[in-house]
Amino acid sequence: MSAPLLNVQGLCVEFGPKAAPIRVINDVNLRVDPGEAVGIVGESGSGKSITSLSILRLVPEPPSRIAAGSITFEGRDLLAMPKSQLRHMRGRDIAMIFQEPMSSLNPVMTVEAQIGEAIMLHERMSRAERRARVIQLLRLVGIPDPESRLKAYPHQFSGGMRQRVMIAIAVACNPKLLIADEPTTALDVTIQAQVLDLMKDVREKLNTAILLISHDLGVIAEVCERVLVMYAGHVVEDADIRSLFENPKHPYTRGLLRAVPSLTDERSRLYQIPGSVPQAGSIKQGCPFYARCDLRQNICAQTMPAMSRHSSSHQAACWVTQNLSEVRSA
Amino acid sequence: MNQPIIQAENVGKIFPGGGGGLWRPAPPDVRAVDGVSFEMTRGETLAVVGESGCGKSTLGRLLLRLIEPSSGRVLIEGTDITTLSGAEMRQMRRKVQMVFQDPYGSLSPRRTIAQLIAEPLQVFGLVKNRRQMRERVAELLTQVGLPPSVMDRNPRQFSGGQRQRIGIARALSVDPSFIVADEPVSALDVSIQAQIINLMQDLQQEKQFSFLFIAHDLAVVRHIAHRVAVMYLGQVMEIGTKRQIYEVPQHPYTQALLSAAPEARLDRPYRRIVLKGDVPSPTAVPEGCSFHTRCPLAQGICRVERPPLAQVAPGQMAACHFAAPNSLGVAAAGPSLDKSNSPRARA
Amino acid sequence: MATIEQDFAPPEPGLSQRLRRVFFGRTATVIATITVALFIFVAAFAPWLAPYDPMAQSFISINKPPSWEHWLGTDQFGRDVLSRMIWGSRNSLIFGFLSPVLAALIGGTLGVLSGYFGGILDRIVTRLVDMLLSFPELLLAILVAAALGGGFWNVVAVLTVAFTPGFARVARATTLSVKQEPYIESAIAAGVRTPVIILRHVVPNIMAPIVVLMTLWAASSIRLEATLSFLGIGTQPPAPSWGNIIREGLANIFATSWPIIAGGLAITIVVLAISIIGDQVRDELDPEIN
Repeated sequence: MSAPLLNVQGLCVEFGPKAAPIRVINDVNLRVDPGEAVGIVGESGSGKSITSLSILRLVPEPPSRIAAGSITFEGRDLLAMPKSQLRHMRGRDIAMIFQEPMSSLNPVMTVEAQIGEAIMLHERMSRAERRARVIQLLRLVGIPDPESRLKAYPHQFSGGMRQRVMIAIAVACNPKLLIADEPTTALDVTIQAQVLDLMKDVREKLNTAILLISHDLGVIAEVCERVLVMYAGHVVEDADIRSLFENPKHPYTRGLLRAVPSLTDERSRLYQIPGSVPQAGSIKQGCPFYARCDLRQNICAQTMPAMSRHSSSHQAACWVTQNLSEVRSA
Repeated sequence: MNQPIIQAENVGKIFPGGGGGLWRPAPPDVRAVDGVSFEMTRGETLAVVGESGCGKSTLGRLLLRLIEPSSGRVLIEGTDITTLSGAEMRQMRRKVQMVFQDPYGSLSPRRTIAQLIAEPLQVFGLVKNRRQMRERVAELLTQVGLPPSVMDRNPRQFSGGQRQRIGIARALSVDPSFIVADEPVSALDVSIQAQIINLMQDLQQEKQFSFLFIAHDLAVVRHIAHRVAVMYLGQVMEIGTKRQIYEVPQHPYTQALLSAAPEARLDRPYRRIVLKGDVPSPTAVPEGCSFHTRCPLAQGICRVERPPLAQVAPGQMAACHFAAPNSLGVAAAGPSLDKSNSPRARA
Repeated sequence: MATIEQDFAPPEPGLSQRLRRVFFGRTATVIATITVALFIFVAAFAPWLAPYDPMAQSFISINKPPSWEHWLGTDQFGRDVLSRMIWGSRNSLIFGFLSPVLAALIGGTLGVLSGYFGGILDRIVTRLVDMLLSFPELLLAILVAAALGGGFWNVVAVLTVAFTPGFARVARATTLSVKQEPYIESAIAAGVRTPVIILRHVVPNIMAPIVVLMTLWAASSIRLEATLSFLGIGTQPPAPSWGNIIREGLANIFATSWPIIAGGLAITIVVLAISIIGDQVRDELDPEIN
């Protein structure tokens, strides 16, 4: 097994006063290998975005804080690292793209200046070299006629094009890991398809590992090999994508897969998970999915199950399915 | 055949760009909806799908005259609502109701649930006193799956899905014959979407209202619609039964939309085609066929002549010079087609 | 229809609870609230509280410093300063609240109507507001007083006119944004009449900034009354108000400084207290925060 690129162990993030903290991330383990594409899927309040922000310590402190756990990147401890060193890693080793391509770009700077700035922060090169690099990046992200777009401002681009510029900025310094938080949620389906293709493309060409955060399993299935399912601050399932779709182990994942409408299926009624998505930190004891679960047992209300391994690349945190597979294998 | 509940005849809306100032030229007009015609019968669900800016939400509002149409007529149960006076139109609103996209913004924040749901009832004098009002509200809450005990609470205390149930109860309160739902589930969490879709489906089967369901998500539409209209830049590109649209789509844009939708499964149901470029701005709709700038099949004629929406099969119409079943080959063998991850065609 | 398992957020605080939070939330606000209440109490019960007739002159006790008979001393006519302060609080406070309330009613109505309906009405109102805003309210008051003469009602009218554009502007701006809210469209789609929409769905949602503005103007209004009285165009002597107590005290400053100190302190304390309450109201009512 190769050394992981990113290794998050036992991450806990809390909000609010120290005396009565609200725990929004609970014991999250996440591993991304070099060049691997991993997805995190979850609904609002699942903690998927906080998890991704914690990696670069971008969660605002206060009111939130990383209460426990370790985050290492290529063996270096990101949580122990001084802020100045961490800043140096942002953009160069780990880059991020966000949901809103408009507000993430500076409206009064040209595209060339913004991409150039990203390069300048981490690499020393002449003005001409830098321009050539910007053109090359714009071409990489599929902006037609890049030479003529250098002096354009963000508002002159459409949403999809802006997201391409964001990706160009993100990959400007050949980062080893690209964290994309709902990168296509604000885009139309046909544009979303373009951006997802671009991400796959960039990954192939630059061998960048990708951590893709989305509420849409379909989007993750397009790009990733492995996926973590998060619910109410917990990782409830971690599996390679094929195994997840074919044989989901956590009742939440099962419900989700059956609840999502499909282009092809002719069911007259969708499966529905009852109840509402719990608010962050509202569940203090037991499995967070207990109230909505159709397989629940008494133990689920008491104790949060640990992740149990179903195969080399598939684990889930569920008392019931864990016992079922033990019975089956026995 | 039933008399149609809703008839849209050549409905169009141009939002004027506004006067130019002394120093700047007048901004161009926005052609939001352009010559849309269709009919809906009782108990039918027509889904309108398209990307942002295609005019689907404007169309929904034109049908309810929340926006004044620039051209065309809208008939509700045979009455042309575009010529009704303000007072007459208000009376008409008893028959037509709307469910909104934003479950957070569409409920007036300083009112209680009972006040919100009962508001249409009071407008039309359908409840005589407070006791009757509360009984009816309780009944409606039960219908949408909420306990009546919550009726004196504030909308702030409800989650998105619960608020959408309240919005549905409000629309249902006057027993309308036509409901427009504008992206009613797109703001909701995935696990909540299914609840609301099922709820609307059940209610529609029970009450038999005509239902115009506006959405951008083709998978959602497949579950709820009887017929589907695909819009692009203010025009209907294709309209047909659910089966026709999903299994034998004839317009290249329909096919591209189907192929672009991400699916939470391993085998793509449709061969993947990635369209080039962006949706043109509705202020500058291309000449000829409005889709020609992105269409993989575009020919010379497409650039100059706009294809009319013409019948291509019984009940199916498409606006394409080269309309043919599955012309891009995305659905070669029907929806259960290629099980393997087929090689991607790039347009 | 299957009812699904529900989990609801805990009930929100009701209006009374929120009002209680406004007035008793922080120590500073508690003190401010008590202070304002005390002043209002004094103004309301002036005839019973004042130890002397505020107009009664007495030549044997002129310019006396504070003593057991006259807690705040006497002025140059031998009138009891405390009694004049107590009676004067009536004029000052009524004045302080009357103009902002009237201005909020008139300006709020104009603003809501022009914001909701737009068009020619909006243009006229906006121009009028811009025009009025370009006059400093003090100058406007002096102008009117010069033309019509001073006196309580004239000054109330002048300040109401001066405050109206501020309310109109705020009401118009918030109405414009509330009008964009989906719940307004929802009400239209439900068939609700326009006047009902305005009263039921617009007005309650623009009240917060209006109330905040009212507290701000109440403070300046008390200040302005004092200024105008000081200039001799507000409350007319010999009737007492804090402003003309200071004015008359100033003429007599070398004989006794107690009237000025009393008047100045009273104005400072009330204005400060109202401002503190205003801040708290803003924090509490702002829909962005809640």
